[in-house]
Amino acid sequence: MQNKLKDTTFEVIKAITPLIVVVIILQLTFVKASAGVFIQFLIGAILVIAGMIFFLLGIEVGILPAGKTVGAGLIEKRSIWLIIAIAFLIGFSTTIAEPDVLVLSRQAEVITDGAISESSLVYIIGIGLAFFVTMAMLRIIFGFRIAYLLTASYLIVILLSFFTPPEFVSLAFDSGSVTTGALTAPIVIALGVGLSSVMAGRSAISDGFGLLGLASIGPIIAVMIMGIIVN
Amino acid sequence: MSGTAILYNLINTAQGVIEAVLPLLAILAIFQALFLKLPTSYFITLLKGTSISAGGLWLFLLGVQIGFLPYGQAIGEALGGFTHKWLAIPFGFLLGFVTTWSEPAVRVLCDQVEEASAGSIPKRTVLYAICIGVALVVALGMARIVYSIPLLYILIPGYSLAILMVWFTQKEFIGFAFDAGGVATGPMANTFLLGLGLGMASASSDQNLMVFGLGLAALIALAPIISVMTLGLIVRVKTRYRR
Repeated sequence: MQNKLKDTTFEVIKAITPLIVVVIILQLTFVKASAGVFIQFLIGAILVIAGMIFFLLGIEVGILPAGKTVGAGLIEKRSIWLIIAIAFLIGFSTTIAEPDVLVLSRQAEVITDGAISESSLVYIIGIGLAFFVTMAMLRIIFGFRIAYLLTASYLIVILLSFFTPPEFVSLAFDSGSVTTGALTAPIVIALGVGLSSVMAGRSAISDGFGLLGLASIGPIIAVMIMGIIVN
Repeated sequence: MSGTAILYNLINTAQGVIEAVLPLLAILAIFQALFLKLPTSYFITLLKGTSISAGGLWLFLLGVQIGFLPYGQAIGEALGGFTHKWLAIPFGFLLGFVTTWSEPAVRVLCDQVEEASAGSIPKRTVLYAICIGVALVVALGMARIVYSIPLLYILIPGYSLAILMVWFTQKEFIGFAFDAGGVATGPMANTFLLGLGLGMASASSDQNLMVFGLGLAALIALAPIISVMTLGLIVRVKTRYRR
């Protein structure tokens, strides 16, 4: 634990330092923001460093092993319906709890003058994501090639974007990227790696990843379809 | 920033983190009770770890809110005020790179890729690929604001290219390339880089804030997909030559 703390601290400092150096150079040369804003930045940077150390440590000790055990445990149960139910539940519940999704949905309510209520959009994004997480997990289990799934999904996205009203297009793409929050992303990654690690004939590297990438397509398609219907 | 604003940030961020971590804990508890039945001490370690990362995330988000968002906007406004607007493009590249370099979930993904590939895909290489991808696309995003290029003119060719590359890149790279698109749009990018885009759009006055400030997230999600698959393509060509 002591060693881990030291390694993580070192890694975090290496990760954040370039950004801080660039900001300090910018402050001295081009930006010249008020002293208050600059001091706020420095205080923020200290919080960010401390926070990231704990975050990464906790991920390594708690989130990643938990995700991997749950993923491996799912396979050992040998029930496809259980896997579908759990995948859907995890996808849906983590998404509707994601703070950024709420912020985005509030914006949508404003854009559409209340035609889409905040809560309905949250559920639409949640269902879209849950559907794709489930599909992505079944892909790992049945050994379906990810290339087919990705090509088909993104062709649908491109096709739909021609019919979706413009104000919904950027909303749709943004909803795809806000759903994968800082806590959800590692657990989804770990789930996939855990799942593929206990299955014979699956390689962790080519089968275990891709859950997160596929998951973010769901909300894009869901919001685009909603935009077309509302119009 | 006033005392009440700081207090508001403290509570608001804490609430967000708790809301995000609760479903995870609930699912873990249900799993433990019904299926996993891990030794209690190990289960407690998992819970402790999850709580530590939630606490860490809270501090992290707080720092980002208090320090990085306003400074991102200040940079954006300064860039928007330049007489030579195109100067924002190289700055976008530099800031895109260092921001992604500091994104926590990007680190987690790179670590997992190195572990799952038993070291054959080093985390450093993946990290560089993701950072360069985002750097290029933030530069492009700045150009988009300066020259008013519609978002779809970049997104549709970009995603078409991604679909095409899926069929030519090294097979092992496909999965985590698309995952990289998900982690690159983490809290750091969502506040610092978006603050940059918003500050810049507001300084360039006539631009529509919603349309030009926000499309950046979609671009940042796309960039690492293409850059990581480009890495896969390079690896594939190289191994073929060696044979």
